[in-house]
Amino acid sequence: MFASLTKYGQAFLIGLQSNLVYRVNFGIRGFFSFFHLIVVFILWSAVYGSQGQVAGFSFAQTFTYFVALIVVQFMIGAFNEDYQISEEIRNGLINQFLLKPVNYFAYRFSIYLSARLVTGLLILVPLVVLYPLLHQHLALSFDAWRYAAVVPALMMSALIQFGIAYIFGMLSFWFLEIQGFVILSMALESLLGGQIFPLDLLPRTFFDISAGLPYFYQMYFPVALLTGRISDPALIVPMLQIQLFWVVIILLTGRFLWHRGLRLHTAVGG
Amino acid sequence: MGISHYIRIWLTSARYSIVRTLMFRGDFFIWSMVELFWMTVNVLMVSVIYDHTQSLAGWTKYEMMLLVGTSMLIQRFLMGFFWSSIFEMGRNIRTGNFDFFLAQPGNVMFMATTRKIDADSLANSIVALALVIYSAAQLHLHPGPLDLAIYAVLVVCGVVIHYSVLVLCIAAAFWVTSAQGIEGSYFTLSEFSRLPREAFRGIAYGVANLVFVWALPMVVVSNVPASALIHGLDWRLALWVVGMAIAWFGLATWVFHRGLRRYSSASS
Repeated sequence: MFASLTKYGQAFLIGLQSNLVYRVNFGIRGFFSFFHLIVVFILWSAVYGSQGQVAGFSFAQTFTYFVALIVVQFMIGAFNEDYQISEEIRNGLINQFLLKPVNYFAYRFSIYLSARLVTGLLILVPLVVLYPLLHQHLALSFDAWRYAAVVPALMMSALIQFGIAYIFGMLSFWFLEIQGFVILSMALESLLGGQIFPLDLLPRTFFDISAGLPYFYQMYFPVALLTGRISDPALIVPMLQIQLFWVVIILLTGRFLWHRGLRLHTAVGG
Repeated sequence: MGISHYIRIWLTSARYSIVRTLMFRGDFFIWSMVELFWMTVNVLMVSVIYDHTQSLAGWTKYEMMLLVGTSMLIQRFLMGFFWSSIFEMGRNIRTGNFDFFLAQPGNVMFMATTRKIDADSLANSIVALALVIYSAAQLHLHPGPLDLAIYAVLVVCGVVIHYSVLVLCIAAAFWVTSAQGIEGSYFTLSEFSRLPREAFRGIAYGVANLVFVWALPMVVVSNVPASALIHGLDWRLALWVVGMAIAWFGLATWVFHRGLRRYSSASS
């Protein structure tokens, strides 16, 4: 147990170093995400127009939702893990792991954690800088139960985020080019994860359908919890259970694809 | 070298791109789906928003759909005719593969930005056009041939403006070597093109209006052709768009050629 902690701790530290190299790139990306907030602000100001509430939420609540979405994205979102995994499979870099007592999933997950530590801290910079401009449009809820539920929800969302990226990376065993799949799934994730609009604006039936899908728990669920869009404490436990169910399914699928993929894999060169 | 020379070069590149597309049919299918899906996402957003409101900055649902359709049409043309070439240009400048274009018989900017055509984007421009036509039908619009010609000219001006802004973004690679992430700035800007011009009024004391509607052309580019169809042509706005197209294209050409002087072949 301790040995494996040290082993993957090292992977984490290496990941930390290599991600710190790209701190400026991540910083620029963070800055542009806030540029996106201008679009959100203008669009939703126009939607609210003269009405005080849309679907029971004030403008400040909706705007807070979009701000939280960006922050959570930088803290747990999978950025390009799928490409990195795909590259390692295609270039044969995974061969080294096949000969060593290293679990490839755990290794990649350690690196993902280190990358999110870097981006998660970096996104706080524009947030703090812009806070004086933003704070009058923010509405946060401070219920204790909310924060108690957000922590496990965020951890499981991180596993879903990484797990889906891992699954797409695994597709490289079968397909030469996964970019198309990745962007197609990105569109699906943005829509069903609530990044285009808060899912609670959907008609009831569609909302209920979306609440059964993994994308709901990948982004919308923790953010809606954090920003008060999910207001019934009785819903939390069943939703956390569905989230856990998807975590298990996704991790098992990733594991299955890894073992199936290795059967096809040919390690060329040395 | 006359225009016919460039048309011949372009047709040759186009033929090459189509043959390539036919070779990778699966790829064509997946990328067409990707774009179609992203367009659907945008249409769904409009649809969901109008479940909760009657009008957005004075625009009704189908007026907004027509705006989004126009914005998509311009973007599909940009993607179809120029995106791959311009995107690769950034990488080629870094790796030194850009040398290849310097040795070709024609204007470097033309050769480097028109080499590849994306058939999937062009296929989806038909979907965008269908959205425009469907919205126009829902609004009971009956544009005459002149209105359609004006709409087409404005859309072409829009493509020229987007092209110029994209070239400007990527030409940064001549100075900063790695333009990675800079193309992202173009996408952020293009998000503005789906917003109605009227929504900017009064936000941040009108500064937003000045910056995003007038200084950066993305909003006007999609709004003017869409309004021309819906409300009839506003000559002053149309002339502004044509003027902007000329100005931005001039700026892009100038910056590109300044950058070209700095190009020192492979870096590392």
